[in-house]
Amino acid sequence: MPPTAIEPSDLRALSGYTVPLVLLLAAAITGRRSLPIASAWRIAQRAAVLALGAAMASLLVGMVWPVTSGLGTGWPIAFAVVLLLITFVGWVITHYSATYLAGEQGQHRFVRWLLATLAGASLVVVTGNLGMLVAAWLGTSLALQNLLTFYADRPQAQMAAHKKFLVSRLADVCMITAAFLLLVSFGTLQIDELARQITAQTEVPTGAQVAVVLISLAALLKSAQLPFHGWLIQVMEAPTPVSALLHAGVVNIGGFVLIRLAALVASVPAAQVLLVLVGSLTAVLAAMVMSTRISIKVSLAWSTCAQMGFMVMQCGLGLFDMALLHLVAHSLYKAHAFLSAGGTVHQSIVRRMAPVIVPPSILARVVAAAVGASMALAASWLFGVYLLEQPALIAMSVVVSLSLAPLLAGRVDKPSTRWQLRSVTTSFIVAAIYFGLHRLLHSWLGTNELDLNPALRSLPLAAWIITCFVLLFAAQAAVAVWPAGAFAQGLYARFYGGLFLDEWFTRLTLRVWPNQRQALPTASAVRSREAVS
Amino acid sequence: MTTLISNELRFQQPDVALNEDIEQACKRIAPTWPLDRMIAVNPYWGHLDQRIEAAAAQLAASSGAKLSMPRAWYREHWQAGRLRRNHLEAALDMAGNKLTVNELVAAMQHDEATTEVAPLVTNLADTVRVRTEPQPWSELCVHQISQHTAAWFDDTQAAWGLARTEGLYGSWRKALAADRGLPTRKGYSHRQNRVNALPDTASDCIGFVVERLGLDAEQRRTWLAVLLGSVRGWAAWCAYERWQARLLDGDDDQIVQLLAMRAAWEWLLVEDLSLQTSLSDWRDRLDQHPNEVARLQELQSIDWLLQHALEIAFQQPLQAGLRPAAVPREPTTTAAVQAVFCIDVRSERFRRAIETASDDAVRTRGFAGFFGLPVAYAPFGTDATRPQLPGLLAPSRVMTQAVSSALDGETLRRQRQDRLGWQQRWRRFRSAAASAFTFVESCGLFYGWKLLRQSLATTHRPERADDAGLQAGDAACLRPTWGEGAGAPSPNERIDLAAGVLGAMGLTRDFARLVLLAGHGSTSTNNPHAAGLDCGACGGQTGEVNARLLTALLADEVVRTGLAMQGIEIPTDTHFVAGLHDTTTDELQLFDIEMVPATHAEDLQQLREWLSAAGERTRAERAPSLGLGELQHDAQALSSALHRRAADWAQVRPEWGLADNAAFVVAPRARTRHLDLGGRVFLHDYDWASDEGFATLTLIMTAPMVVTNWINLQYYASTVDNQHFGSGNKVLHNVVGGNLGVFEGNGGDLRIGLSMQSLHDGEQWRHTPLRLSVYLAAPAEAIDDVLAAHKHVRLLVENGWLHLFRLNNQGDVFQRLPVGGEWRRADPSASV
Repeated sequence: MPPTAIEPSDLRALSGYTVPLVLLLAAAITGRRSLPIASAWRIAQRAAVLALGAAMASLLVGMVWPVTSGLGTGWPIAFAVVLLLITFVGWVITHYSATYLAGEQGQHRFVRWLLATLAGASLVVVTGNLGMLVAAWLGTSLALQNLLTFYADRPQAQMAAHKKFLVSRLADVCMITAAFLLLVSFGTLQIDELARQITAQTEVPTGAQVAVVLISLAALLKSAQLPFHGWLIQVMEAPTPVSALLHAGVVNIGGFVLIRLAALVASVPAAQVLLVLVGSLTAVLAAMVMSTRISIKVSLAWSTCAQMGFMVMQCGLGLFDMALLHLVAHSLYKAHAFLSAGGTVHQSIVRRMAPVIVPPSILARVVAAAVGASMALAASWLFGVYLLEQPALIAMSVVVSLSLAPLLAGRVDKPSTRWQLRSVTTSFIVAAIYFGLHRLLHSWLGTNELDLNPALRSLPLAAWIITCFVLLFAAQAAVAVWPAGAFAQGLYARFYGGLFLDEWFTRLTLRVWPNQRQALPTASAVRSREAVS
Repeated sequence: MTTLISNELRFQQPDVALNEDIEQACKRIAPTWPLDRMIAVNPYWGHLDQRIEAAAAQLAASSGAKLSMPRAWYREHWQAGRLRRNHLEAALDMAGNKLTVNELVAAMQHDEATTEVAPLVTNLADTVRVRTEPQPWSELCVHQISQHTAAWFDDTQAAWGLARTEGLYGSWRKALAADRGLPTRKGYSHRQNRVNALPDTASDCIGFVVERLGLDAEQRRTWLAVLLGSVRGWAAWCAYERWQARLLDGDDDQIVQLLAMRAAWEWLLVEDLSLQTSLSDWRDRLDQHPNEVARLQELQSIDWLLQHALEIAFQQPLQAGLRPAAVPREPTTTAAVQAVFCIDVRSERFRRAIETASDDAVRTRGFAGFFGLPVAYAPFGTDATRPQLPGLLAPSRVMTQAVSSALDGETLRRQRQDRLGWQQRWRRFRSAAASAFTFVESCGLFYGWKLLRQSLATTHRPERADDAGLQAGDAACLRPTWGEGAGAPSPNERIDLAAGVLGAMGLTRDFARLVLLAGHGSTSTNNPHAAGLDCGACGGQTGEVNARLLTALLADEVVRTGLAMQGIEIPTDTHFVAGLHDTTTDELQLFDIEMVPATHAEDLQQLREWLSAAGERTRAERAPSLGLGELQHDAQALSSALHRRAADWAQVRPEWGLADNAAFVVAPRARTRHLDLGGRVFLHDYDWASDEGFATLTLIMTAPMVVTNWINLQYYASTVDNQHFGSGNKVLHNVVGGNLGVFEGNGGDLRIGLSMQSLHDGEQWRHTPLRLSVYLAAPAEAIDDVLAAHKHVRLLVENGWLHLFRLNNQGDVFQRLPVGGEWRRADPSASV
């Protein structure tokens, strides 16, 4: 009997599709109310471990038998890394929730939709077909909707969910139209085939151009970019693990889709400009809003909004490898930040024990940024990243230089030599990790047509980004140095109000979806829902 | 505009009556402490001068709050046989109520009365709002005020904070004028004009709105109470600011400013929604308030009878246990160790366990866990001073740590400051607006490791804030100290302090070879309310510092000599050891044992064995309540399960804290030693025969008795009405301003009190709301004298906020009738 020929690609598909399959199956089983809740959680945790194992296997297979796709050999492995990320975060959240939600009503519902959301997200990553991707993305969003309204009696949870529903459906319409247009233009929905065809052509057909712009629009909508960010900020009305799941595993799918369709995005300058403009503005404005927030979870949410902006901006610039790194690193960081948000009080105690750091002067900040720039230059040179070839990388280096300033400035009483030495070495190490990872990823993913992307060489785009981040740096310095000055005072109310963008969108939502709540009767048998046991 | 200005001028005259009403409304709000110093507070403290029944009716009619459980809950107790006819009879008898038991049983079958809450103008606005407004006005106003107040008080969370150039009220006015997000019918400039027309000071603003709304004196009082109750959380925070200022003989009027903000909204809504024509009807409804209070008080009398009956059901078996026939003789063995524990209910289990484990060779005592030391404390090398005493008192000294000779203090101090400073610098890099992007890309992957480590089961003890910035081993070289030189207390002061504490403890003779002073603390991870599980008497900290300070004080030769001159002879072979009872894991850690001489090595070893056996027993007793019943007989597994629980970042119920507390017994241990009190009773040792002039009794009744009442009613209030006096669902908690408090979800008012997870396990209540029953073994006259001299304590008793009993030497129990102050023998037919 001849040995059965199992192709590596079959193995990859097998291990890859195992993930959504296992999760979906577990979702179906655990949702049954007849199952004791402890068993439901046990099954969910095992399914999460199994999914994690399958994702690892998929990664291994990809590394042992690399394949060439439209993007180069490294990319399929990169997608396997994202699959690993989703299953890992999924496992952490499942594990956490099993203890955290003990005693809550409706845990069956929670387990089911948690697993379903994870299944949807992993299917987005696994599939090679755009149609399937669109469907999986839609499914993820619908499953998540059930988690956002876990406490259906909380009106604010309903409001945020309605906003999310509108934004997401708008995005879905964009995606479906885009898929249709691409099918008409190229006769296929296989992503690798689409990539091959679109890069082969000198002139991208108008239909395809419109499709890619629509895809970018969908990614922006689903990444909670201004002014469609409100729902992301207001989902604190759901249990903490839901926030972790949303911020670490779902909101970044927009970025993933852009990376997955990199060849398409890189071929349509209009889409790139759109991504850079919206992404960079959101990054800068949301970061400033974040620094005014007074509660930990809302502050984290605005931070996500800004970070997603930065990620789609990188996609627009053609820096897909960096966007991928951003996606993975941000997910891990944000999942941890949400799940450990209860530790804020502990941190505030430690903070009061620390010496008071006087805000550095403007001059000190400029000097620190200059030292930061030299660190960035040295690190990029060390790793052979040639900045001059790509203005986009110069823009990124400026962001790195400015960001290192807090590590280098900030006076303490009698700074010791050791302290100053530590400032310099740490900031160099940070810069080195940054460029090292970039270099590593870039060479691992393989050079390909993406490197020819004109966005990488666009001086106006680079200049725009540099301007944005220098302004952000300047604004941050101004409000710290002159907190009672005209600038800080004049802008504070606006930023504290989130630039009043969400209120605009809320009114729009309410027009579509009027408030179902009756006016609160002034006379009511006020009975807390908890008190009835 | 001209009319507005002339109106403003009219309010330049101080309105004495108005200010009194404002003061009265503010007085009703009890303070709330910051999360890192979370101590239990009786949220009804401001209603002390009212009968509990009257306060309940008033709170219900002015904010919809409840002070008793739903009728269905009492019915459940009735059906389960925990509430019986004789309990109902006794309750009726105590109340002098004419109802028969059958009538009361019949009344129990009906649900509790519904409440007509006195409306605000904001509630009128809710009834006319359109469906495209995002939230009812009653929520929007509170949200807007809450967000602003949070920004005002926050100095930890936001990097770009609100400038404090004006007061709370002034900055709020400015912020509201600039707010373009809130819905408005007449446009932003209209609102801006109205906001600008508001008077400049808070009390003028309130007067202005009162005038505009046309309220008379009675309506005004009702309205002010309802108004402040609608922002109860932040009002409690402002009350804390005021409380702290008054402890230091100052004052603080931010609570009035908060009230002004809420009042201003009433007028702004009238203007924006043109509600002028509805105001007359609205005032008529305010006029109904006194009638509604009277009606509710009448109807709620049934609830209070049932509540009291349930309390009687708890008291009767306890009283039977306290009777002389039940009290065995003193153990005849000599005491090998004397151990002083905090009065906390969690100590009761451990004390019972160690007495049993040691066959009564360990004699235990109960005393307030701050050991009577009026100190604040700053960890070594830092300026982070915190009180280590009950919130009722102001500290008189700041203590810190000394370094054992092996280390150089100055170097250690600098290293610690360097490390802490560096951590803060790193935090700024992580969170600064322009740095966060690079931080994520360079360091984010590292968090994968952190996620993995936190998710895997660990028994590793979580880092204590007190050890921050210290290297491993450094903490062991630091010990709390009384200090030396100018700042330190003089020998005489120390001697007086030691004599006072020992006297209050009743530990002045018959010293054992070892005396253990055990504070307590809890261990939990990722828990914003962790301090609430620590020692309340130590200001929401662990009792370690106080126990170690007192041990050091009593080891001092000069102090011992001085004590001997005052008649307290501590034998030279008596040694004091400090300990800390971890109430999550029930392990008791001993400190500074290297100070114990070799002659006592065996005693120490023996003590350790007893402690470990006691821990095992206590853990086994607690296991079922933590869902670990199946590990009850596997000591090793149970111990590691509890360590994992303490280190688990997803654990929302690390322990049950003081849940189910119900009584406070102030008597020699001999009166309770034979009883299993199930971790429900505070125990304070007291022997009135040796209390000269009843100074100690006065101390106990004015301090620990008040503290236990605060704890008891915090648990009570959070249980009977978590919406108003509790902090809701822990899985939605969102920490505000680093340590100010929590929001439940996105925003809304600041939440105070305990979370549902601290009281309920998802299936049933873990706390039974019962008012505290206090049992004092002291003569009636002495107790009456203390009550006569201390108004707050008297009000607690006379207005029904606790039940006061006394035990005589024969073990008879007498109850002090709230009305009339007569002592009456408690029901002798008590069934066990």
